[in-house]
This record gives sequence, C-alpha cells and structure tokens, in this order.
Amino acid sequence: MFLSVGVRFEANVEALNMVETAGNYTKHRRVPYLVEEDGKLKTVYVPAISGESLAHAYQWSLVKEALGMNLPVCEDCAKGEFFKSMNKAHLKKKIDPIPDDSKKIEATIIKSCVIEDVGGFLYAEKPPVRRSSAFQVSYALPIKSMALFATAEPQLHARHAQMDAKGKKGNVSEQMIYYVETGTALYGFTFNLDLDAIGVSSLGAGPIVPEEEIRARREASLKALFRMLSSAQFGAKLSRFFPVGGITELTVVVTEHPFVVTSPIYDSYIERTKKRLEVIKEAFREEYFFDSTNEVPEEVLRKAIEYLKEKGYV
Amino acid sequence: MAYPLLHIAGDRTETLEPKRNARSSADRIRPLIEWTTLKVSGKPRVYGSILKINRLHRGSVESAVTSFPMAVMYGESDYTLTLLYLLNDDLIRASEFSVKDFERAAWGISRIGSRESVISVESVELGKGRIMEKEIAETAYAFPLTGKKVQGNGVVQGVIDWKEGIGNYSKARIMVMFYPEGKVKVEGRLRVIDVGEEVVL
Ligand SMILES: [Zn+2]
Repeated sequence: MFLSVGVRFEANVEALNMVETAGNYTKHRRVPYLVEEDGKLKTVYVPAISGESLAHAYQWSLVKEALGMNLPVCEDCAKGEFFKSMNKAHLKKKIDPIPDDSKKIEATIIKSCVIEDVGGFLYAEKPPVRRSSAFQVSYALPIKSMALFATAEPQLHARHAQMDAKGKKGNVSEQMIYYVETGTALYGFTFNLDLDAIGVSSLGAGPIVPEEEIRARREASLKALFRMLSSAQFGAKLSRFFPVGGITELTVVVTEHPFVVTSPIYDSYIERTKKRLEVIKEAFREEYFFDSTNEVPEEVLRKAIEYLKEKGYV
Repeated sequence: MAYPLLHIAGDRTETLEPKRNARSSADRIRPLIEWTTLKVSGKPRVYGSILKINRLHRGSVESAVTSFPMAVMYGESDYTLTLLYLLNDDLIRASEFSVKDFERAAWGISRIGSRESVISVESVELGKGRIMEKEIAETAYAFPLTGKKVQGNGVVQGVIDWKEGIGNYSKARIMVMFYPEGKVKVEGRLRVIDVGEEVVL
C-alpha cells in the first residue's frame, strides 16, 4: 500500500527554514520561480521550506510515536541525531563486532531502529549498505497562482542589556539589533509513504521483523505524519516565529501501488488527482482511498488510517 | 520506472550483488527497455547561485564559496516532462511482466532525477510504433548527437549511458545527448519512430 498526501498550509510571518547568517542578518530559504514578462523569462525569488527540513520533523515525530508504542529506536535517533548508522563508530552502538555480511548489517539496523527502517540509512564503510527512505517529501513551495504575492521580509529585533558603566569596555554595546527574514505564503507540499517497504529487507532478504511488528511500525509511521501536521511541529524558530495560519487543505490517497497526488501547488490538484485515480480504478481494477478537506484535516487522516486498518495493513 | 514496476512484482530489492559491485535493481528491468528519452515543455533556465559552503567537523571550520549552476523550470507556467519508453513486445512477453504492468508502473513513477524529486504522473499513453530509416526528421525529444547535424536550439550534455548498467557509474561510458528546445531539424542516418505529431530518434 502506498500513501500520498498533498498539503496546503498558510504561514504568515514564519521563519521555518533559515539558511545562512550574514552578520546580524538571518536569511530565509528561497527558490527561484520563473515568470514571463513581455515574452521574456524572469527569475523571482520566493520563500521555501526544504524537504530535508520537513523530513527531519517527520522523523522526530516518528521517534516519539515509536517510543510511545514500545517500538525500538536507536540511541542516536532517540536524541534526534539522525546519523543513520553512517560509519563504524555509529554502527558499533548496534552491533559489535561489525559483521562483513551486508544482509546481517541491514537486518541489525532494521531490527534496532524504526527511524532507519522507515527513513532509510547509508552505512558508508566496507561493505557499504544502503536503504532508500520509505517516505518521500517535496519542498514546500508557494502555490503557483499566488507565488508572486509570497514575500520574504526582514524583521528588525533588538536585544537589550543593562550594563554597568564601569564594566563597559571599548565598543561593547548595550543594544544589539538583528534581522530575521520572515516568509509569508500559501505553501504546498507532497508527502509519500511506501508502507510495503517497512520492516522488509532492501537486499532481497524478505521481512526482517515479525508481521505483527511490521503492522505496528506502519501505524507509528502514519501517526507520526498525523502528529507532525496536526501540531504544526515542523521547521525552525517555532518558539518565537510560530507561523500564523494553518492547514487550509489536505488530500490523502491510498493505493495498492505507487501513485502520487498531483502537487498542491496547482489550483486544480484535487480534481486532477481524482481523475487520475479513476483511471487507476478503471484500467487496473485497483481499489483506492481518497479524501480531501478544507475543514478538519485530522478527520481525513483518521479515515485513511481506518481504511488501512480495515485492509489489515496496520 | 523500476521502482513502481518492482513494487507491482512484490520485489523490495533495491541493491543487487551488494558484496561485489553493487548495482541498482533497476538493472533487472533495463534489458526490457529498448530506449528511453524525454522532452521538456517550455524553456528551462540555467542559472548559477552562489552558495556559501560551511563545513564543521569536530572543531575545525572550513568555509568556501561556490557557484552551483542548475536548470530551473518551476514558476508561473505548468512545465511538464514527457518521458518516452520504447518497449519490445517480444521481450516483454518473455519476461515476468506484461505491458499492462509497465502501463501501471508508469502511473506510479514518483521520483525522477539524480536527487529524485517528487513528481506526479498526469497522463499515460500507450501506442504501437514502427522503426523506420530516414535521413531527415523533426523532433522535440532528446537524442544522441553523434553523427547528426542539427538545426535549432537546445542543450548538449554528456550523460551516463544507462544501457551499460545502472548504479555503478564510476566507470560508465558517457554519451553526448542533445536536448531540443522546442522542435529541431536533424539530418543524418536516422532510425526514427512515429509518436503522434512528431518522431523520436
Ligand atoms: Zn536509528
């Protein structure tokens, strides 16, 4: 089973993805958008949130869901440090001595950590062992029809300190000013989850953990998405720049084999997704789950999980 | 294409022969595909952004500025890529897959490119084609440039020859491909196949 989710959310004055600091100026991540003006292509920069940033948030949600369900999470991942058994030093925490059989290495990692099972890993030593992530996430980009209204605007802030005149040395200042570039946009992004990949070897060795635990791991993966979206716990600087707004639209599709919702950056994405699903049903006799809302996103996510429960998938 | 196709087959293998020279399991379906190419709607723009690379490693900080040119094609218009897969009926019949499996897999292509961006397939068409010899043709699809004369604009790029194997690219041969901007006129000893209004070389 393959889950694909399209999310639209409004975020005003957010600092969800900052990229670099030049002096006292912290920049928001931006991407170029091509627009046509008098028959010529012009590049405009719009605020964006990287897929890496969203993926980190998702995996952090997954840590909490997995631990809450008594599923294994390794020491590194439990701290939110997703090293993913990248070298001997990190893999040794899971198995010591390290075997030279890639299948044994893979099995050890999958058994000991749900995050690396779902989020993939790369052990970059001899023998190298890799596993693709079972979930995929796009960048969050301003939706096309309103992209030109998306802005990134620096906000001036000041930090004050009371200083003893005697203690004042040279050019130490009592006031420090700094700028945080904030973005405002209606964003869209896509999230996919290949449920069949969970708990199963990517080296052709079949299921690595018992069927019952695979179902539990799938459930944790779904709940993690639920919680990440519902709590808006993704991106950075949430403590002072929590975005004003929220999810405006959410579309969830579950199909037997891979199928990706039309990107929510297009205004017609719901209609287009529905039409494409009809083809899948007609031509390939494949059942599917589809639901979409601009009201209560939690309700749609709940229904999707219920559908998968009925199918015996979680 | 390999990812959704192997998903349909219930095969979760993504790395073949992990011990010796690891290859992608896409290599399993490579012999079934005679040729593949693509066309691009609109004009991608190549631009170079200046990136500051900072690397922190256990206390020592390295910093460098680099220019990172890349093609951009997102923005106001709805840019699309059209992928074309040329399949050989006889080979497919002899394989564990059917043409229908390939058709469903095409709907399931979820990632594309070297960094595997998330995409959605908006339509799939299936047709029969006949290979013909020609000396002159117009095409919008990318083709190997060697031995051909081209009239029109496009981008020339050295790419990995996927027909030699997928996954182990360190020693792979490079072929020179021409990516047309709109349609171009090509002269040479051509093998072409009709696809609707245009041809594929
Ligand atoms: Zn881990």
